[in-house]
Amino acid sequence: MTLLETSFGSNVKVMNLDNVHALVRRRLGDLGVMEGSVISLRKAMPFGGPCTIEIKGQWIAIRRKDAGSILVEAV
Amino acid sequence: MMKLALTGNPNTGKTSLFNMLTDSYEYVGNWAGVTIEKKVGMLNNKRGQLIDLPGIYSLSPLSRDEGVTTLYLLDETPSMLLNVVDASQLERNLHLTIQLLEYGRPVVLALNMIDVANKRGLNIDVQLLAQQIGIPIVPVIARTGYGCDVLLETSMQASDDSGSATSSRRFDYGPVLEEAIGKLEAMLPKELTSARWLALQLLEGNIPVLQKLRQHVDPVRLQTLYDETEKLVQEQANGKKLADYIRDRRAAVIQGWLQHAVLETKEQRTTLSERIDAIVMNKFLGIPVFLAFMYLTFKLTFDWFGTPLSDGLDSLLNGFVRDSLSSFLDSVGAAAFIKAVLLDGVISGVGGVLVFVPQIFMLFLIISFIEDSGYMARIATVMDKLLEGVGLNGKAFIPMIIGFGCNVPGIMAARTIEQPKERLLTILLTPLMSCSARLSVYSLFVGTFFEKNQALIVLSLYVLGVVVALVLAKLFSFTLAKEEESMFIVEMPPYRVPQWRTLSRSTWEKGKGFVRKAGTFIFGGSVVIWMLGYSGFSGWNVPMNESFLQSVGSLISPIMEPLGFGNWQAGAALITGFLAKEVVVSTMGIIYAAPTEAGLEGAITQFFTPLQAYSFMVFILLYVPCLATVGVIRSETKSAKWTWFSVIYALIVAYIIAFIIYRAGLLLGFH
Repeated sequence: MTLLETSFGSNVKVMNLDNVHALVRRRLGDLGVMEGSVISLRKAMPFGGPCTIEIKGQWIAIRRKDAGSILVEAV
Repeated sequence: MMKLALTGNPNTGKTSLFNMLTDSYEYVGNWAGVTIEKKVGMLNNKRGQLIDLPGIYSLSPLSRDEGVTTLYLLDETPSMLLNVVDASQLERNLHLTIQLLEYGRPVVLALNMIDVANKRGLNIDVQLLAQQIGIPIVPVIARTGYGCDVLLETSMQASDDSGSATSSRRFDYGPVLEEAIGKLEAMLPKELTSARWLALQLLEGNIPVLQKLRQHVDPVRLQTLYDETEKLVQEQANGKKLADYIRDRRAAVIQGWLQHAVLETKEQRTTLSERIDAIVMNKFLGIPVFLAFMYLTFKLTFDWFGTPLSDGLDSLLNGFVRDSLSSFLDSVGAAAFIKAVLLDGVISGVGGVLVFVPQIFMLFLIISFIEDSGYMARIATVMDKLLEGVGLNGKAFIPMIIGFGCNVPGIMAARTIEQPKERLLTILLTPLMSCSARLSVYSLFVGTFFEKNQALIVLSLYVLGVVVALVLAKLFSFTLAKEEESMFIVEMPPYRVPQWRTLSRSTWEKGKGFVRKAGTFIFGGSVVIWMLGYSGFSGWNVPMNESFLQSVGSLISPIMEPLGFGNWQAGAALITGFLAKEVVVSTMGIIYAAPTEAGLEGAITQFFTPLQAYSFMVFILLYVPCLATVGVIRSETKSAKWTWFSVIYALIVAYIIAFIIYRAGLLLGFH
């Protein structure tokens, strides 16, 4: 399933980031989001705007399209 | 001379530490990307220099500001590296630390925001961690100065001990990579220091390193080696990209370090930041909260604080100061000419601008608050969807907000935008943000014509600037290179209550430019404009209507006639306003030879109707970036073509919009 299909606040494990925009993937990696990390979806802005994710107390905003390309699995 | 380089992830407090350790002051904020240039300061103990570098996550740069740091490390040899890490985000911060250790200069770790980490329930055994990593670690709180003396002492020690020998740290990257690194090292000329570091950076895809190595090694050989290694790694680690593989190896090293040294003693609970975000980032409230905040800003600037203070300053300048200067000049028997220059030129010109200092400082105070509190990254997120629609991303809003203060730093802040096209668009459109200099023109006109609705009328001009920028962004992104895919990612720092010291300091740093400009540029400009108004074809001391200033203004006044302000006075003010927008006010002050602002306001009511005044303000908002802004556009785009473009499109757009507003206003029965 993708990150967007998870419920707000529930912890999931990142399985695959291959379809995420290349530069966004690099920056996510810099911020510690890589395959195997545990993250959670926190908030979504209206009108299809960005959503925020949380990893180890750090909050990051990315576009919904990119969040929809992050494949995750329940932990 | 010792050279200490400050390095670390964005928003870890490098600049705060810089301000504590040196005798200089630099601009700080709570968002990633505040520092975009390298800054040099003298250490408090006078034994060396401290170099503040833009924040980076890794040494491979993604954006222009990050490239500054990489190039610094490539081209210079600092005595030691002072690595600032955020104690509550140790794990990701240490990826950079590993790269710095590999670089080969002594590293000292400043464990910043140790108080925040403790509050969040992280218990860090500093001694054990230092033992694990093998470098000195000093816990500090840069905002208060806690631990800074120890840090300075430790850093001095480290760079003294190092001498000239480099001691590059080796981490094991597995047989495939180690072989590739060995081959690369052999290719590099002997005089290059830290060859292993260069080899690793190249394999990670570091573009500046690649460019440097191409000067020494055949590019084809480099590419072949890179491709071969990537293929081998992918075979071995089921399809992993080379850079990701390297990152994984480093993550394993970091895990080992942290395993025993860091203990989480408390369960994560809802933080204050989350509770604030529940409101300001709320699905429905996010945008209204932002707009309300902006409205409050204008209320504070105009109705509640700024204007009353400005009025007080005005009566002081034009009453007491003018009278005392006048009687002083009389008593020393100054020539009539000197008296006229000082009273009608300098006091009218410079004084006309200086009276707006309170309003401008109020605005800068609020901008500093946005920057220091952590709200900036939230605004970028809330606005992203809107900006994506016009071919930009939410981060473009940061330069625009800074541009409300002054366009010059706003345009420079566009360096943090990763995609070149989005960066160019942001540079071209930031001048449409109404800066504090334009505020002085509005203040004059709204005070005269729209006394009841000052804040609202000014807000409408700010909104107009933003709307025009968005429409043009859409238009330009169709025509400019459009193949580039838009992207957006921003880290959201925890909120902080801004310290009064930081706020006042950063407000003053921003505002002093305005005051200094009044004392130099506007002072000189006022004298020149006064001279142009004092002289004419028939000689000196001519009536204003026969002066050179009138001749110059008359050249363009026919063109402005359709916009409602075809008098030569407006024309002259527009031409001189290109130097700096406040000069519009100075020029009008001198032309109408108005001793007090009340007099100036009285004078302009004879030349403008309210609708014409609004049309004039719209034109001032949009017409051309000021001289300083044009200069910074030139240096940031490195293109004469785009610089000319920024001036010409603005003139055309200003003309069209002022025309529409004036004509539509007339049709609707306004006057």
